[in-house]
This record gives sequence, C-alpha cells and structure tokens, in this order.
Amino acid sequence: MSPAAPIEPNKKTLPESSSSAWGELSPERSYRRFGDLRGVQWRIDLGILPSSSSSIDDFRRVTANCRRSYAALRRRLLISPPISRDERHFRDLVMDNPLSQNPDSMWGQFFHKAELERTVDQDLSRLYPEHGSYFQTPERQGVLRRILLLWCIRHPNYGYRQGMHELLAPLLYVLQADLERLSEVRKLYKDYFTDNFDGLSLNVTDLSYNSDLEKDEDNMGIQKDMVKVHHLNELDPKIQTIISFSDAYGAEGELGIVLSEKFIEHDAYSMFDVLMNGDEGAVAMANFFSQFPSPENGLPPVLEASSALYRLLSTVDFSLYTHLVELGVEPQYFALRWLRVLFGREFALADLLVIWDEIFALDNTKLKKEKEVKFNVFNSLRGAFISALAVSMILYLRSSLLATENATSCLQRLLSFPEDVNLRKLLTKAKSLMNLATDALNSVLEPRGHRHSLSSDQAAHASPRGGVRENYWEEQWRVMNKEAEDRKQVGISRQVRNRIRGWSEKVKARLAKVTRSTSPFRRNLVDDQTAHLEENKKLVSGNCSSEQNSNSNSNNNNNNNNNNNNNNNNNNNNNNNNNNNNNNNNNSNNNSNINETGSSVESSSSVIGPEPGPGPGPTVSPSTSISSGLYRSTEDVFSPVPTSNTTQYSSFNEVKNDIITKRPVADLGDEQSSPGKFQWLWRFAKTGPEGSLDKSEAATSSVNESDQKNGLPEAVDRNKFKILAQSMLENIEVIESAENLSENALEALKELRKIKNLLSERVLD
Amino acid sequence: MVLVLAIGDLHIPHRAPDLPAKFKSMLVPGKIQHIICTGNLCIKEIHDYLKSLCPSLHITRGEYDEDSRYPETKTITIGQFKIGLCHGHQVVPWGDLDSLAMLQRQLDVDILVTGHTHQFKAYKHEAGVVINPGSATGAYSSITYDVNPSFVLMDIDGLRVVVYVYELIDGEVKVDKIDFKKTPTATI
Repeated sequence: MSPAAPIEPNKKTLPESSSSAWGELSPERSYRRFGDLRGVQWRIDLGILPSSSSSIDDFRRVTANCRRSYAALRRRLLISPPISRDERHFRDLVMDNPLSQNPDSMWGQFFHKAELERTVDQDLSRLYPEHGSYFQTPERQGVLRRILLLWCIRHPNYGYRQGMHELLAPLLYVLQADLERLSEVRKLYKDYFTDNFDGLSLNVTDLSYNSDLEKDEDNMGIQKDMVKVHHLNELDPKIQTIISFSDAYGAEGELGIVLSEKFIEHDAYSMFDVLMNGDEGAVAMANFFSQFPSPENGLPPVLEASSALYRLLSTVDFSLYTHLVELGVEPQYFALRWLRVLFGREFALADLLVIWDEIFALDNTKLKKEKEVKFNVFNSLRGAFISALAVSMILYLRSSLLATENATSCLQRLLSFPEDVNLRKLLTKAKSLMNLATDALNSVLEPRGHRHSLSSDQAAHASPRGGVRENYWEEQWRVMNKEAEDRKQVGISRQVRNRIRGWSEKVKARLAKVTRSTSPFRRNLVDDQTAHLEENKKLVSGNCSSEQNSNSNSNNNNNNNNNNNNNNNNNNNNNNNNNNNNNNNNNSNNNSNINETGSSVESSSSVIGPEPGPGPGPTVSPSTSISSGLYRSTEDVFSPVPTSNTTQYSSFNEVKNDIITKRPVADLGDEQSSPGKFQWLWRFAKTGPEGSLDKSEAATSSVNESDQKNGLPEAVDRNKFKILAQSMLENIEVIESAENLSENALEALKELRKIKNLLSERVLD
Repeated sequence: MVLVLAIGDLHIPHRAPDLPAKFKSMLVPGKIQHIICTGNLCIKEIHDYLKSLCPSLHITRGEYDEDSRYPETKTITIGQFKIGLCHGHQVVPWGDLDSLAMLQRQLDVDILVTGHTHQFKAYKHEAGVVINPGSATGAYSSITYDVNPSFVLMDIDGLRVVVYVYELIDGEVKVDKIDFKKTPTATI
C-alpha cells in the first residue's frame, strides 16, 4: 500500500530544500502552514478547504460537506439501472427494453456507461507503470475508475478523454502520502493520539490503570516517558496539526477527519472536480479537453492556449519563435500534451509534485474581465505561470531546437523532455517570465491565424451524450424518428407557411405579369411590391429549411419568368377564350421557355444558391442581394421592353438598396393615383375569391387564364379589394397563431399588415 | 446482466426473404452476449449474420436446415441457469407442454427453448420454464395461423431471468416482459 520507497525520501528532502531555496524567490508567498502535508495544502490552494488561517473545526466542516456530496453523487449515479424498482412496470416497454435504439432509455444509458467504463479501464491499465505497485492495485484502480466515471457522467459534454486519469493520479497519490505521514507520526508520537472524548485527555496510562500493571517493569518506563512531555502544545506545531487532523470527535464525527483513509476517494474526487472546473477561476483543465470552440474567439481552448504560448515566446525570444514557425512546428503539437496533463508526462512524479505545488500556490481568480482579454484560458496568475513555465521549458531546449532544421526532430525534442532537469532553474525562469506573461496575455492583438488542424471539423454538432458519441444505430434512430417528431410539431406552422407561400407566389406572379404591360413607373411600384413580398415571405418562413426556401424561391423565379414569357406570348393572341387551351399553352410555353430563360434564371438561382450556407434564420444582406438578383433577372427578361426612363430605374434601385422591412409602405401612397395603376390589384382581386388564397400553387394555372380576360367593370374593384384585404388579414392571423416566430418574422407580419391596410384604404376611396 | 437472444425458425430463403427491417435495426452487435437459435435458419448466410451479432452462437438442427452438423439438442449454462435447446419437431405432439416438460427433465435444465410451432409461448411449471421464441420472420407454418414475427431476449441476472418478447404486430414492434425467478435449490 505504501508508495515506492525511493519516492518517499525524495519527497521529504525536497520540501526542505524547496522552502529554503525558494524563500528568496517568492517572498510574497503566503505562509504555508501545511508545507509537508501536500494533500491538505493543495486542497486549500484549489479552494476546497478554507484558507490556512481558519480553525480546525472549519476544516472539518468543509471536508465533511464535500464528502457527503460525493457520497450522494455516487449513490445516485452508479447504481446500475436495470436493477429495478418495481415502478418500472408502467414504463413504456417499447422504449425501455434492452434492444431499444432509443438513446434515452435506461438500457441505452446503461450501455453508454459500460462503454465509458471500457475506455476508462483501457487508460487506467497503463497508468504510471513505474509506480505500478501503488497505482495498479485493483483497489486503487477501482477508486480511480469510479471517480473518473462519476465525473464524466456528471459532465456529459466533456466525456472521458485520455489524460484525465493522469490528472487524477497525482492527486490521489498526494492524499495517500499524507496518510503515510500521518501513520509515521502516529508511530512516533502514539501517546498523543489521545481520546478527546470528554474534552479531557484520558491517557491510557491513567493512575487507576497503572495500579493494575504495577508488577510490570514497563510501567516505570511509560511513566517516565509521560513525564517528559505532558501536553500536546509542547510539540512541534506541524505535528500538532497532523494529530488534530486525525481527531474523530469533532461535530462531524468520522466524516470530519481531515486526513482519513476511508474517504480518500471522496477527497480525490473533490480535488479533481475543482481542478477541472477551475472553480470559477480562469484556468479550468476541462477546457483543454474540449474540442469545441469557445464562444469568445471561435477557437478550441487548446489552440487558444497554444497560440498564447507562442505569443509569449515571441516576446521573450523572437529568434527561437521565428525558427519554430518557419519549420512549421505548430504549438499545439506539443502543447496539447503539456497542458492537458499539466506537464504530467514531462516530469517524473516527484518533480511533478513540486511543480504542481508552485502552480497551485498561485491564485486562479480571473485578472481581468473576459471581454477585455484575448486569451481567456490563461487569464489568472496561475494561468500566467503555466504559460510561463511552458515557455521556459521551450527555452530550456533552445540550443537543440535551434540546431535542427527539421520539424519532426524539433517535435521529438520537445515531446521527450529530458529526465535530468534542474527543476529549480526552470521554476525560477518561469517566475521571472510571469510578468511578461501577464502582459502578453492581456494584449489586444489578434491571435495568429495558424492553420489549425484540430479545429474546424470538430466544430460540428456537439454530441448530446458524453463519453461515447452516439453510435451509428442511435444516430440513425434519431434521424428516423426526428422526422416523425418534427412532423407533429411543425404541422401547423407548415400549413401556415404553405398558405403564405401560395398566396405570395400568386401575388408575385400577378405582379410580374403586370409589369410587362404597365409603365415603368408602375413597374417600380410593382417591383417594390415583389421585393417586399419576397422578403417578407422569406423572413416569415425562415423557420423551415433554407434549402426548401431557396428551392421554392428558385421555383418562384421560374414561375415568374415563365409567366412573364407566357404573357408576352399570350398578349399577342387576344382571341383566346378557351381556358384549357390557355392552360395547355401556358404549360407548354413554360416548358419551352425554361430553356430560353435558362441563363437569367440560373443567375438568379445562383444568387440564391449561397443562401443555404448561412443556415436557417436568414440575415438581411443575402435577402437583399437575392431580391436584387431577382430584379436583375426580371429586368433581363424584360429587356425587349422599352426602358424609357433610366433615371427612374436608378432611383428605384437606390430605394431598393437601402431596403428593408423598415421601409414604410407609405411609399406606395406617394405615387400618383390613377385607376390604371391598380390594374394589377384588380386582376389579382378577380382571382382572389376564386383562388381562395389557401390553395396551393396549382391554382396559379387557373389564375393565368383569368388574367387574360379584360374589361371587367371597375365597380367590382372595391368589392374585390375588400375581399382581398380580408383574406390577407386572415392569413396574417394564421401566421401569428403559429409558434416559434422569430423577430424578423414578426416584423414581416407587421409589414404585411400595412399592405393590407393600404389595400383597404383604397377600398374606401 | 447477461443478455441472451433466443431466436429461430427464420426459414430464409425458403419461406421468407429476410428479417423484418424493424427487427434488424434493433439487433446490433455489442449488446448481446449469447445467441441461442432453435433451428431452421436455413442457410449459412444467416448463420454468419447471427455470428456477426455475437460470437457466442448455439444452434440446434431444424428439419430444413442445410447444415447437417448442428446437434439435435444442446445444453448451455449461463450464470445460474441451465438452458436447454432443441428445435422441437422431434417432440411429438408438436408444441405440447407435457411432452416438452418430459424433454426438459431429460435434459435436466431450468429453461428449455424450443421452436417449430412459429408461435411465441412462455410457460412456467414447477420444474422450470419453457420458452418458444416463435418465428423471427413470421414464416408460414402448417400448424399455426396468423404468424407474427417474434423473438425473445432473456436478461439473466443472478437467480432471476427477465424475458423480453419482441413481436411485430401490424408493423409495430411490441415488447412484453415476463419475470421468472429460480428457487435456489441445491443442485448436486
């Protein structure tokens, strides 16, 4: 059970030498009350235990709390689910059976845990083989495994990554070492481990007890010893604290023994947890294990940290920095391992303990606010020291690095840090670099854009289950059932969107048709309307996939252009009264015209093409470009049309360009009112009641035919406008009733309302 | 926590082309520790497929199996349970509980798994449990009408076995669960 022998004397001598040699280095370091009890000291540094100046009772209390929470956690999370309570009977068996692919079932979780355990075991079997006698015993392995599993289950977004076990191992070791110390002290000063039961110290060698052993010679000896030192306080304070730490009679009872073998697992877990989480400080080791880019600057924290390192190196030793960069040695190749295990793989365990002493001694609170600092990962004294230490390690190898002209040998050198390092020198250098480090980290320069091989492809979707990513089958299941689930939710909103789409397409079709025959002035108006509707439609239906959108848009474009050409052709045949013939003509014309307008349509659809890129939630700029693309295409088609007034077009283009939904619809009202101006509305109004705006695009063909008719009395207009406005209002209300509307959609709805109001105004004229 | 799949009477390719898709999607490698198969697979490809699900595969010979090297009966011990396996066409009358119980006593097993009737059954009688996993493909049977595809998954945990039966009824997978406990009689 004891750690390998060579370690012990090393550990004992080092603290002495360290405290004497480094006294001059860090006068500002606070008095380390528990210098030789690393476990306790580290717990204080990490923030688990209260600061050094508090009393033993506080220590006990905090310790007990930590342990209690760990025990609760363990009870909750490690009980295997299929050992069932009978409440499971009413669980849905279809979901919860062992073969179920549903990842949320209890069995799914069970299999995930089994998977996690397998991964953890793989790593544990290779942990510290040189100290195998300590780390490879089954009990220790069990302890380590439980701690790691619990932490990973608790933090599913990190899962288990190789390296976590190496962070945990020294913590456990240190706690064990403390216990060793305790047992040594116990042996030496066993008389002082008294029973403080009643607040009195009842020594074994009580007078009454003595009387029974009078005959024994040893009595004399014992009595003599007792005479020497009666009271606890006469002992070395360090020994005192050790003894009091083992006292079992505080308020928390056994749970409060600060140095306790029984609860070594609990303590190790709390230390590990705090180390990983950073305890609200800047340096959280868990960050180094995450692959997903941090929100601040879009890089995974490891890359951020590596570039911080290189930045510091560049300020300290520019020539070495340039040398490395020229060779193409990216920092994360070696920094990843250094940081993830906090240099655990570069130094022997004994040295590592010393280094970690230094690291943990420094404060981890954030130095500056997050927004002000580029490298958040190192934004604390502790972080600065870590980066300074890394740089000093690089500097230590300076000569050999500068000598090689080969990236791989550089890396080899960096990755196999020499064994016989003068630790003291290294740490001194690191300390001296610390100030530079804090300056460098707080500078506002951009992090260099190295080509990060680790980055982007892992920025894909974050797996919802930690540890093991969802395996293939579960993903398939989710994909398959996602449609079913989505269908239910999206049902209503889809209907709504369809309605809107149908309606606005019809409107656009009308508008486009009419622009051909109306004056340029009117065409401005109509084109504006088209653009408006286009945007609104896009924004409102922004929830559905953008591909769908763009497909429908391109379809619309096709429809528009085709309808326009139809108009061109059909206007020449005014004698056509047969609806069916018209339809057939239209359809055939559609087909033939598709090829002709291929180029212009392609231009518009290519403009639309990039839209799926930014994903759902259309931003404004693509839509402007798309609508202007639309314009371009419609104008192309209309090129045979005499363009009399270019100035009007340019003005309209300007208006178009500083668009958006904020543009008041009152623009329309500024135009001169003429009866012919609203011919398009009139034509649309005719079709309004028939088309009953809820129908799908199929109705556009019927609308085509009716547009051919001319000469309806205008008296009918007002009625139609009313109906038009009415149906518009209905649709708006339907849309509003759908859930999950974005802000853009709501604004678009407002605009639509304005249009409707305009229409109804015209009615009243 | 040992998962044992009991499956059989697939009759591929003679009476059915393949397992139902929903069953296939559920049977993934890695979850099941043993497969016991009553027989009538019938071809080697199905044997290989089952082997890919789990390397520990036990099969007995059904009358249409093309591989004649399968044994007529088999006994396996998993955990605390002794499981006996036989196709069932040897036991006449087919599907009769008393005759099957006779076979169970003969093999001296706690759980007897047989097939041939293409109908799921799970009986408990004083000596043990008799399970018929039915036909996994719903293949035609001359003795059963309206065959639904079904198979059985046993979760053996100490002295307790939980039998999950998966049936494909009207295109949906239905799952049912039956608990059996073994009385800890001293087996000498």
